[in-house]
Amino acid sequence: MKPLLAAIGILAVLIGAIVLETSATGYIVYLVNLLLVMLVLSLGLHIVVGESGQFSLAHSAFYGIGIYATAIATTAGWPFILALAVGGLAAAACGLVIGLLALRMRDIYLALSTFAFGEAMQWVFLNWESVTGGPNGFNIPPIRLFGIAIMSDRMAFPVVAVLAALFLAATLVLHRSGFGRALRAVRESEIAAAAVGVNVRLMKLAAFILSALLAGAAGGMFTAFSTFIHPDSLGFSNTIQVLTVVVVGGIGSVWGVVGGAVAFGLLNELLRQLPSYQEMVYGAILMGFMMFAPRGVFAALRRSR
Amino acid sequence: MRKRVKLLGCLAGTAMLGITGAALAAEPGLTDTTIKIGLFGPLSGASQAYGQDVLNAAKMYYAKINAEGGINGRKIEVVVEDDRCSPNDMVAAVKKLVEQDEVFILNGGSCSAPVVAAKDYVVRSGVPWVMLNASGDGALYPPQPNIFGALSISQRAVGGSTVEFAAKFLHAKKIGYINHDDAYGAWNLEAAGPQAREDGASLIVESVDPKITDVTAPVLKMRAANVDVLVLTTYAGPAQLILKKAQELHFDKPIVVAVNAIANLKQMVDNVGSKDAFKNVYIEELLMAKPGSEKLGWVYDLYKKSYPDLSSQPGHPQVYMPYGIPPAEVVVKALQAAGRDVTRAKFIDAVEHLDFNSVMAGPIVFTHTDHAAQKASIYFKYDGENLTEVPGVFASRWTYKGN
Amino acid sequence: MDLEIVWLFVQQGVASGLVSGAVYALLALAIVIVYRTTDVANFAQGEIYMAASYLAFFLIVVFAVPVWLAIPLTVLIVCCGAALFQRVVLTRVSSGRGVSVNLVIATLGLSFLLKGMVRFSGFGDAPRSFPSLVPDGAVMIGDASLTYLDLVILATSLLVMALFFWMFTYTKAGRAMRAVGMNRRAAALVGISLSRVQMQVWAFSGGISAVAALLIAPKLLLTVEMGHVATLAFAAAIVGGFTSLPGAVIGGFIIGVAENLVGLFISSRAIVVTPFVVIMLVLILKPQGLLGGAVRVRKV
Repeated sequence: MKPLLAAIGILAVLIGAIVLETSATGYIVYLVNLLLVMLVLSLGLHIVVGESGQFSLAHSAFYGIGIYATAIATTAGWPFILALAVGGLAAAACGLVIGLLALRMRDIYLALSTFAFGEAMQWVFLNWESVTGGPNGFNIPPIRLFGIAIMSDRMAFPVVAVLAALFLAATLVLHRSGFGRALRAVRESEIAAAAVGVNVRLMKLAAFILSALLAGAAGGMFTAFSTFIHPDSLGFSNTIQVLTVVVVGGIGSVWGVVGGAVAFGLLNELLRQLPSYQEMVYGAILMGFMMFAPRGVFAALRRSR
Repeated sequence: MRKRVKLLGCLAGTAMLGITGAALAAEPGLTDTTIKIGLFGPLSGASQAYGQDVLNAAKMYYAKINAEGGINGRKIEVVVEDDRCSPNDMVAAVKKLVEQDEVFILNGGSCSAPVVAAKDYVVRSGVPWVMLNASGDGALYPPQPNIFGALSISQRAVGGSTVEFAAKFLHAKKIGYINHDDAYGAWNLEAAGPQAREDGASLIVESVDPKITDVTAPVLKMRAANVDVLVLTTYAGPAQLILKKAQELHFDKPIVVAVNAIANLKQMVDNVGSKDAFKNVYIEELLMAKPGSEKLGWVYDLYKKSYPDLSSQPGHPQVYMPYGIPPAEVVVKALQAAGRDVTRAKFIDAVEHLDFNSVMAGPIVFTHTDHAAQKASIYFKYDGENLTEVPGVFASRWTYKGN
Repeated sequence: MDLEIVWLFVQQGVASGLVSGAVYALLALAIVIVYRTTDVANFAQGEIYMAASYLAFFLIVVFAVPVWLAIPLTVLIVCCGAALFQRVVLTRVSSGRGVSVNLVIATLGLSFLLKGMVRFSGFGDAPRSFPSLVPDGAVMIGDASLTYLDLVILATSLLVMALFFWMFTYTKAGRAMRAVGMNRRAAALVGISLSRVQMQVWAFSGGISAVAALLIAPKLLLTVEMGHVATLAFAAAIVGGFTSLPGAVIGGFIIGVAENLVGLFISSRAIVVTPFVVIMLVLILKPQGLLGGAVRVRKV
């Protein structure tokens, strides 16, 4: 039963992708590109918060590093694959540093220091003008893939979609692997995990690095179809949006994150039409989910079945 | 399996036909009887006061033209999007207007930072874009073939004009200059420096965060530096805090407040708290006369007629409302000049030949290499209650010296 | 920079810093008492403070409620609102199954809700102010200038803190709060009603924030973003040691003075990033701050 379901699911997604690429308006393709970036960002946050239980609020910083690093590499003429790798690795390196510091902190202290780091990083983006363009923002040149310059949302979509699919598959594999189980063991109880031979420090560090890597890669994906980045989009409110996706989807569930990202994308577009309600709705969603469905909407649905 | 491939092939084929069919149609946004214009601005959010009524003014001007018979046999059809003055929302609004609504011309933008975000996409799409009241420096320098702006004033010109006023009218030799450390601030500073040097004055600069709440440091430093005049190009909140702090710290030199800070004069006085703080304050004005004066009477009358409910609400019309007239005039005049068989290319060419007087302090002038229209301001002395006009128009001399 | 100007900057920086520091101290106090007794880092503290000022503005300017009535009314409403939030939302969240960070996420939700409500009311479009009760005028302390309002802010803040410490130390309710803060289970065992104490603590936290807001509002302007001073309050609490009440107060004054001195001697641009750097440095180098005890490890 399950393999057939999976095959139909994959085919449906493929057909949807082809229809999107060929006949939807460029605007819709743009929205889907954004959604896929949010998906990869959320997968990254899922690894560090959902799998390993470390409440990190620095996610936008890694995303920003990925965007700037990839954009700078592209400006220097590097092909996209290389530039994307630069973005991901730069973010991962930063994740390593923060992860090392995070090993000494717990819970609220971790949350506060990663929050402070995220804000400080935004200030760096804003003031390091020679590298990031500072308050003028950074004009992102078109990426080059196999010699072709990607000049529109429609051209970028296949690239973005393939990358998103790859990262999703990788996260799923991680989730089901021994590594994933070890991470979740650390989340539940560090002492018990250590007792069964898990190298707790290494696991926590690895989670941070992977999470930053994904965030940086998401930044690279963003540069495939965007022409401009400004530090204003790289602050705490961006982190909160990603957190909302993970929370709504269900902390600890990969498919929950996917569902959360899709729901978030739809909600976002809907709320664009009702701007005065945007923040109130976000707040109500966060509170409501914490009160009534703390394990996310998809866990709640599964429970009720 | 074969059936599925066939089905997919059919779908793909039909899609292809659809696309090529669309491409062979006439200029988007144009029919025999209508021209579709995409208006966008901050209709909500923190910057609503900078653009909501500006957009309304443009809309009412188009309605007036339609009532007078339209342009060369076509009526103007308006599609409106809210950009909330945020880069992501403006990009989404512009993409929607171009791809979904297929407008002929884009007419929007009240805030400069998101304008830069949307710039590359609009340049690639080739759709003509006449900004509303955004300063728009980031998309005007270097000039782009299809983007026009600074219908209110560019930030470069704000820097140049305020310094010119301080140096020429207030005879300042040492000018204190408080701006923000954002893009806006960088732009106005870029012109302020050279203009001061040319006028034989030195510029003492303090750049502060737009969210600053404690302005003791910058004001104290200005007082300690013994400046002759203090120029503020900050937003309203920080400007008000600075006026208050200047009074507390007994800073009694003249203070020139740029247009960036002046959305609501009465609110400004309330927030500063006392008329004493306005003993030596000058404000910059971009319109040709005081807002609400009889020279601009027709604009306010038209607003009242077009929006009877809105104009009875407090705070309306918003102070910047008349700034929506020049952009609409630009669009209409260029369409008229381009003639009945107008195309986007002809429209752009027509805009580049415009040179007329609108409701602003200086003329609206475009050339092939300069797409920033308005560069001058007038100034008033403001004592907290009355505005006294200072004679003269003070223009910025900065020009773009790129390649 | 010659010595005279340096000395002027130091005096003014310290004087103005103590005044803004008093407000940070109040907010830091509010944050710490909530953390001590309910284990929640209240990320909505700034928004509660912001909403309190807008509520007062609403009452005084829109409804023309006389000031002597509006102020206690505002404090009362905020106290009740905060207690209600604890009772309705947080108890539900902490009883549900989920990760321990859910409480913090719930407070984040509250912060968005409050911000959205204020924006929705339409008053958030431009900076607002309401009239100061204190007459204009300033005194010179050495070379530094402080307005009468500044002095009132400082004096009232100190008074509120003193009252709070007295309540905390000598009254039954205060002792109950301390007991819950020290060891929740033991406190429950001796018959202290946890839910009542937690509601009271949230009410006090809200009330202190409201007082801070009412004090500072005539000096600053009301904007929807004014809640970001909570970051400075968090920095203050961390500097003082996140679990120490006197530490929070001292931390507040330190942050206030540091902020001003950084602005005067380094650069106005650096003012914004100072609290973040302080938070990171303290947490990395000396997480227990100045007066905090050993960092508690809660999870097993």
